[in-house]
Amino acid sequence: MITPEEAHKNIKESLVGFPKEVTEAYLVFASKADMESLDKVVTGILQFYLAKAPKSALSEMPGTTRLREDLGMDSLTMMDTVFLVEGLFSIKLEDDELVKLSTLDDLRQLIHSRFPSLSKSK
Amino acid sequence: MSLPRVVISGMGFVTSIGNSKGAVLESLTSLKTGIESIDFIPGTKLPVSVAGTIKGFDTQSMSWAGWTWPEGYSFSRDILRNMPPHGLYALCATEQMVADSKLSSEQLSSDETALFCSSAGSPKLLAHYLHQIVDSKGQRVPPAGVVSTIAGTLNFHLAAHYHIHGSVVGFSSACASTTQALGYGFDEIRLGRHKRVIVVGGEEVGLEATYTFHGMRALSRQSDPLKASRPFDKQRDGFVGTGGSVALVIEERESALKRGAPIYAEIVGWGQAGDGHNPAISDPEGNGLATAMKRAFKHAQLEASVIDYVNAHATSTPAGDASEAHALKRIFADCGLAPKISSTKALTGHGLSMSGAMETAFCALSLKEGFVPGSAHITELDPVCNGLNIIQKTEKYTPRYILKNSSGFGGSNVSLILRSIAH
Repeated sequence: MITPEEAHKNIKESLVGFPKEVTEAYLVFASKADMESLDKVVTGILQFYLAKAPKSALSEMPGTTRLREDLGMDSLTMMDTVFLVEGLFSIKLEDDELVKLSTLDDLRQLIHSRFPSLSKSK
Repeated sequence: MSLPRVVISGMGFVTSIGNSKGAVLESLTSLKTGIESIDFIPGTKLPVSVAGTIKGFDTQSMSWAGWTWPEGYSFSRDILRNMPPHGLYALCATEQMVADSKLSSEQLSSDETALFCSSAGSPKLLAHYLHQIVDSKGQRVPPAGVVSTIAGTLNFHLAAHYHIHGSVVGFSSACASTTQALGYGFDEIRLGRHKRVIVVGGEEVGLEATYTFHGMRALSRQSDPLKASRPFDKQRDGFVGTGGSVALVIEERESALKRGAPIYAEIVGWGQAGDGHNPAISDPEGNGLATAMKRAFKHAQLEASVIDYVNAHATSTPAGDASEAHALKRIFADCGLAPKISSTKALTGHGLSMSGAMETAFCALSLKEGFVPGSAHITELDPVCNGLNIIQKTEKYTPRYILKNSSGFGGSNVSLILRSIAH
């Protein structure tokens, strides 16, 4: 798990220019280790990287929203998001897991799987 | 059937001496330098401490999300997200050029429009990304590590953004690159392959892109911004690096006239030749550059006597300037000719691959606005220049023909001839 000190350092190095909601959620996660903040960070990063801004916040969209067809996510957007999420949370996502991702819920669940102790803390 | 005439019909600038046509014009006429002190490694005293800096932008962040730029531009994230820092400069310069030339998005994306670019890539991002890869033992490889760092990065991004369907080409002849791009662009239009060619050069300025030239002692060790870059001066001791971006469009004259685009100058011919001498040092006698100039005159079917002004490549290195002086003497002084000569790198610093496009744009402004920029910062002219008419002050004067020289690593020499539209 990341410490608040590491979180501040990561914000300075990797989240420059990101919306305040993302950096604030990341700091909350660093102190409370809660799933809600984790989801906010992940969807916030994806939303920021999407080539075309979505009609509404990803956090308010149904979990069945399709990443490619509905959000227009291309492979570079996916890899940008994965690269940053891996760095911020010190986790590793495997290529064969990424190719199976289809919806927002798929993405969230994959990230959740790296934090088994958080699964019921929401 | 007569060959189409090729004109410069739009330009845009992000340079050390200004981020607009008006600002650049003001700096050239008043000989205002864009060179200032810089800490390549903050807190560390280095032997090189000046550069032609870019003002009004902050591209220090490794992520585009942290960049800022002057008001008046609006860019969506899909164009910025994998760009290198100097890609932002190129985007701003190209936006200015598009507005200046009155090109529509349909004309930009038609198969009659080509895009020729040059840059050294992004050494800054490359160093950052390589550190990430090595530090993570290969586990973390940045997704945009290739497209945002290699030499073709500007053509990759600009071609996608402007939906270019004509030729998309990158030039990699170091400091001769964008003059070569203009020459080959001229040929493309003359051959009827394209109606217009957009030429964009862009470079970073900073530790990775600039200070690295200190390894070969190519940079000036002068700390005074008014003394560091002084082409043709006896005490010159190296060049001053700069970055930024310049975008030009060259096109069939009829096409530009039909659109009501501003016509700055006509390109009438070009020539090039290799030194066949050294990977990084000019031929001391300037043989390659002299041949390039002769070939340009032959191509344009003109005599050297028509040239009123030469915008020299001269970067302020002891060897390079002497080499060019020898070449210029052979072409002009030895034939009793004395065109005005200056190097605008005294003001801007040396913009590497973008220098040719930048200085060709200066020449086009000179022809359009009726002035010849002086060669600044000379206190004692190098005797190697005896016989050459090197002007030290900007003069109010409208040249008929201008010769623009560029030379790059590997002995690539290019000469381009421009004509006043009033001629």
